[in-house]
Amino acid sequence: MLNQSQISALIQQGCNSSDWSNVILAEQCEPDRFRNVTFIGNVSVGNNNGTIQSDGIDLPCGIYNATLANCTVGNGVRISNIGSVVSNCTINDNVLIENVASLVGETNASCGNGVELDVVNEGGGRGTLLINQMTSQTAYLQALVRHNMAFTKNLSALIERKAKDNCLGTSIGENARIVHCGAIKNVNIGPFATIHGSQNLENGTILSCPEHPTEVGEAVFAKSFIISEGAKIDSGAILDKVFVGQAVKLGKQFSAENSMFFANCEGFHGEAVSLFAGPFTVTHHKSTLLIAGLFSFFNAGSGSNQSNHMYKLGPVHQGVFERGCKTGSFSYVLLESHIGAFSVVIGKHFTNINAPNLPFSYIHEEDGASKVIPGMNLFSVGTVRDGEKWPKRDNRKSLIKKDLIIFDVFSPYTVEKMLLGRNELIALSESTPKEKAFVNYGGLQINRLLLRKGAKYYAMAIARYLNDKVCSRLSELLEQENDWEKTTASLKPQSQLQRTNEWTDISGLLVPREKLAELEEKVVSGSISSFDELLNELQSFYDGYKDYEWQYVYEAFRKEYQIELESITKEQALKSIDEWQKAANSLHSMILEDSKREFGNFAKIGYGIDQPEEETDHEFASVRGSAETNGVVQKISKELIEIQERYQQFTNLVITNK
Amino acid sequence: MTRQEIAERVIKTTARELHLNTSDIKESDNFAMELGADSLKSIELVAAFEEDFDLSVNEEEALQVQSVGGAIDFFDSIINKK
Repeated sequence: MLNQSQISALIQQGCNSSDWSNVILAEQCEPDRFRNVTFIGNVSVGNNNGTIQSDGIDLPCGIYNATLANCTVGNGVRISNIGSVVSNCTINDNVLIENVASLVGETNASCGNGVELDVVNEGGGRGTLLINQMTSQTAYLQALVRHNMAFTKNLSALIERKAKDNCLGTSIGENARIVHCGAIKNVNIGPFATIHGSQNLENGTILSCPEHPTEVGEAVFAKSFIISEGAKIDSGAILDKVFVGQAVKLGKQFSAENSMFFANCEGFHGEAVSLFAGPFTVTHHKSTLLIAGLFSFFNAGSGSNQSNHMYKLGPVHQGVFERGCKTGSFSYVLLESHIGAFSVVIGKHFTNINAPNLPFSYIHEEDGASKVIPGMNLFSVGTVRDGEKWPKRDNRKSLIKKDLIIFDVFSPYTVEKMLLGRNELIALSESTPKEKAFVNYGGLQINRLLLRKGAKYYAMAIARYLNDKVCSRLSELLEQENDWEKTTASLKPQSQLQRTNEWTDISGLLVPREKLAELEEKVVSGSISSFDELLNELQSFYDGYKDYEWQYVYEAFRKEYQIELESITKEQALKSIDEWQKAANSLHSMILEDSKREFGNFAKIGYGIDQPEEETDHEFASVRGSAETNGVVQKISKELIEIQERYQQFTNLVITNK
Repeated sequence: MTRQEIAERVIKTTARELHLNTSDIKESDNFAMELGADSLKSIELVAAFEEDFDLSVNEEEALQVQSVGGAIDFFDSIINKK
């Protein structure tokens, strides 16, 4: 309780309160560090005798030119120049709030939790609730697994409960800095977050942590949102009903509504509507619209566009771009469409494409027709680069990485799709007469000549994957055990899946479909009855991935080569490494050729302007380097040598084993 | 098959696949630079050559071929096992 001399001092310094008995200052709080402060309701303030840095200058803690209503203020806090009021807020230690129009909390504020987002389908039906703990997997389950009403209902109920638990009022976490901002209303701000120059923030949560502070910068306008740890939203981004995941970057006037961006997504300049942007979805350019679709590991070229509105029943059409897809500049895809994993879309496509079993393909436009070259992206140097860059570009520094991500380009998910694609292409090839130039496939045309070619590419990639996995495991075991029979006996899988070949991609997490079905059943039966239990179940899928993958390899190898791995002979093992070596060598050589083409004559167009050929070559080399010096080309060349070395090592290991 | 016969077939196939006149194609032409065959078309060309010559080629070697003359030499070496 303030004594009379303290109250007098405060009044002399321009402070006032209608009831000073509701104002509590900590014992060591210096009253002269309150200037022109209006206290309304219950206000308590901690020690204020330190300094805090603002715009590079150490300034005294305390409260200056501000109105505080029903606030608890921690130690070492500076609040200065508040346009209207700071209300209903718990402000933790070492917080700086300076030059802010208003910072208002309402007692029943949910701070974004519980707001429903219409993702994937703009017309609704896939409503997904914002919660602080959302992951790309839980969002996928709520948005995309809608076949089982009981599952949807129970899942929604446990998410709603979690959302309500999160509504604990408005607070500013320790060491947060809020400076030069417009109005902020019903926004929870996590520790170490920096809010600098935002225009308007309303009904949201900004999660943050010391390991990866979150930044909300200049001219950001955000309403009904949750922004996760380590995200950076700045330079005029406009968000309305948006979830922003860990280490996401949005800015440069990017706008998004009813959209979700998971780990490491980047959005600049363009627009997102009803977008489910799984991990590593990236769009950097103006005039790019990503709408009503499911994406992940995606790269949008400038002017990429999709349409979800056929002027019939409204914007109800959705698209699925499986992981790893790219769209070229000014590409257009008519929705509904379903593009296979790691495919490239070039040109404008006015048919509904349905090609999930043709992963790693080039979908292009020729004379207005949509065509596909199956498997061509298997030997693109771009695919290799992508596969290597994603794990390196996982910028999440938070202790808990919420989205569970399996980065493998070649996995049971993609390999099984290739197996299906290969079989379909072979069947088409056998049934198509020579006189026919093209066959129709899922809204696309395939050059008849490419049916066998595509099947061959897939066969090479399948052989490389299966034999690589088998030989790797055999190598590991042989290095520990010198007895062939004992070694091969331990090839039997530990996991006991019934349907090893059925997999799905839960927005970054690759899972056997039967595990997902088990999860659904547990949610329906109530054995998963809380959000935390749901997260634990998903974590167990992530932890079990390698075991499930091995069981897939074991079964797929048996089907492909009619060999039971438990009784594989040395001769069969040597044949397996031979198969791997041939496939790996071929694909790698093709990738090498593709990478070298980047230094071919056509790449030199526009170099050495008005110079003779020799100078053109010199200028090109000085800007782009050469195939001989380029790091990627060199790496691929080195890997080609390593393929031979590994082949030799494995062969020796098998031959010398008893 | 003589080199001349192989050359005629390579040029005929190239003309058909790239929608060109056979008379416009020279042995010195680079598929990408002069004939406009991008990497997508290159795949189709290889497949077309395979069908027209009724053989299967080594993909990585085929993708190294840059010019019409190179393609003629490539198929000459396979067919006549040079």
